[in-house]
Amino acid sequence: MAMEEKERLRSPSVWLPRDPGEAVRLKEAFGGDAVYVAGSTLLRTQWEAGTAPVPAHLIDLASIPGLDRIEETDDGLVIGSLARLRDCAAHPAAAGKAPLLVSAVKAIAGASVRNQATLGGNVVYRVGDSMPALLALDAELIWHDGRTEETIGAAEWLAGPSARPGILTAIRLPDRESGMTSNRRRWFAFHKVGRREAFVPSLVTVAIAASVAPDGTIADIRIAAGGGQTVPRRLTDAERLLAGRIPDAELLEHVYDAALEQYAPAPDPFAADSYRKRTAANLIAAELWKSLREPDRAGKGDGDASESID
Amino acid sequence: MIDKTLAQRSAGAVLECEVNGRKIAIETPPARRLLSILRDDLGLTGTKRSCEIGRCGACMVLIDGKPRNSCLTMAYQCSGRSITTIEGLADEERLHPVQECFLEEGGYQCGYCTPGMIVSVKALLDDTPDPTMEQIEEALTGNLCRCTGYGGILRSVARAIERGGEAT
Ligand SMILES: Cc1cc2nc3c(=O)[nH]c(=O)nc-3n(C[C@H](O)[C@H](O)[C@H](O)COP(=O)(O)OP(=O)(O)OC[C@H]3O[C@@H](n4cnc5c(N)ncnc54)[C@H](O)[C@@H]3O)c2cc1C
Ligand code: FES
Ligand code: FES
Repeated sequence: MAMEEKERLRSPSVWLPRDPGEAVRLKEAFGGDAVYVAGSTLLRTQWEAGTAPVPAHLIDLASIPGLDRIEETDDGLVIGSLARLRDCAAHPAAAGKAPLLVSAVKAIAGASVRNQATLGGNVVYRVGDSMPALLALDAELIWHDGRTEETIGAAEWLAGPSARPGILTAIRLPDRESGMTSNRRRWFAFHKVGRREAFVPSLVTVAIAASVAPDGTIADIRIAAGGGQTVPRRLTDAERLLAGRIPDAELLEHVYDAALEQYAPAPDPFAADSYRKRTAANLIAAELWKSLREPDRAGKGDGDASESID
Repeated sequence: MIDKTLAQRSAGAVLECEVNGRKIAIETPPARRLLSILRDDLGLTGTKRSCEIGRCGACMVLIDGKPRNSCLTMAYQCSGRSITTIEGLADEERLHPVQECFLEEGGYQCGYCTPGMIVSVKALLDDTPDPTMEQIEEALTGNLCRCTGYGGILRSVARAIERGGEAT
């Protein structure tokens, strides 16, 4: 309601750049008085909560043609940063190449927010629920600094400073298996736990992507965990235990311990760290256990599935 | 300062769009929320204001046929779009079938969530005339009701599906 009067008094001007270069030049001209806007769903929440000031200038990235494209390439999938979450989830190429990302995106907010929010906005948020999935898929982020494009791994970007000059133009999901003659099965799992079943901020978000040989040996696995204000990261200790092994109950106990140890949630006012650590470790162990017992389970349940990649 | 070619590319002070089938041009700051434009400028108070941060769905409208939270949407994001509010569902003669079903099945108590609820159900049934329970729950996750316990709402949706968009 406070917004109400303020809206008229100091409504920001809205700039409509035609290409990434123009967007970055506007930002350079206005500096701290301007912010980039995609779907505006996160910004609106921050303005209303008073955690970010309403700026004098908005630079609308949605006005740049083509930034919302989703394209299948020879070696992967490229999702424009301005692609709406709804379109990411509904795109046939995304379902085919990145079912893990589709599961993650469907777990963000509710349908009406997903009609407006973008994948790029979720990524730049850093703690968004798509991020664990993008880490597990070893995604690359394509940034435009006003002059040139630069590609940087999602993990590397998360490890760096949060304020990066330029705009995110696309998210690339490389097809790690392409060109490989392999009869490995691709397997993935996604889990988000919050205080209610759906439409809820996450306490713990876990994503796993693996390729599994016909005899059950894990050839390659990436496990990532986030949740709440936790900047997601890979759980490399658990990954190392699993690589090259056929998991069994004993190995999963070690995996549980490694995940419990390495997952470091950012504090939440209503949920203890110990609870969230146990939750993350349990989810990871449980998903791996399910994959052993039901190797052919495909696309059922809470977003875990497997598929052949031969 | 900013160069001229850039200056031409800012959103103007007039929003042109369509509201409930009628073309409008209204003077408004480009970052003003659609919720305020509808309720305070156009007097369309069927769209409700509650949480104002996208969490309750009381402010739900359709933009180009898709449900959107009008509290999260700014004027410039509506430029050239077609907006439908609860007032736009009924025709001169009678209520929209989804509205009738909510009346018949008691899909509301205090009624505050109802316009948003009905707008979401309309969008669902336009898109998927025979939805599964999962699809219904999915379509309504963004609409909270503090009164009904959802039983009456689900009954109303079931009835609307049965009627297949037809008047009785
Ligand atoms: C009711 C509600 C529920 C929500 N639930 C969830 C949830 O469950 N999980 C979750 O992860 N998030 C959730 N969110 C937060 C938010 O909606 C999402 O993270 C969304 O994906 C943000 O995208 P956007 O396009 O709206 O971003 P915006 O709000 O437009 O932008 C977000 C930030 O990123 C910057 N930015 C955006 N795009 C770019 C770009 N291409 N290049 C550089 N900077 C950019 C902006 O400057 C801003 O700082 C929720 C929000 C609401 C209102
Ligand atoms: S008022 Fe918009 S969702 Fe609650
Ligand atoms: S009927 Fe009162 S909030 Fe739904």
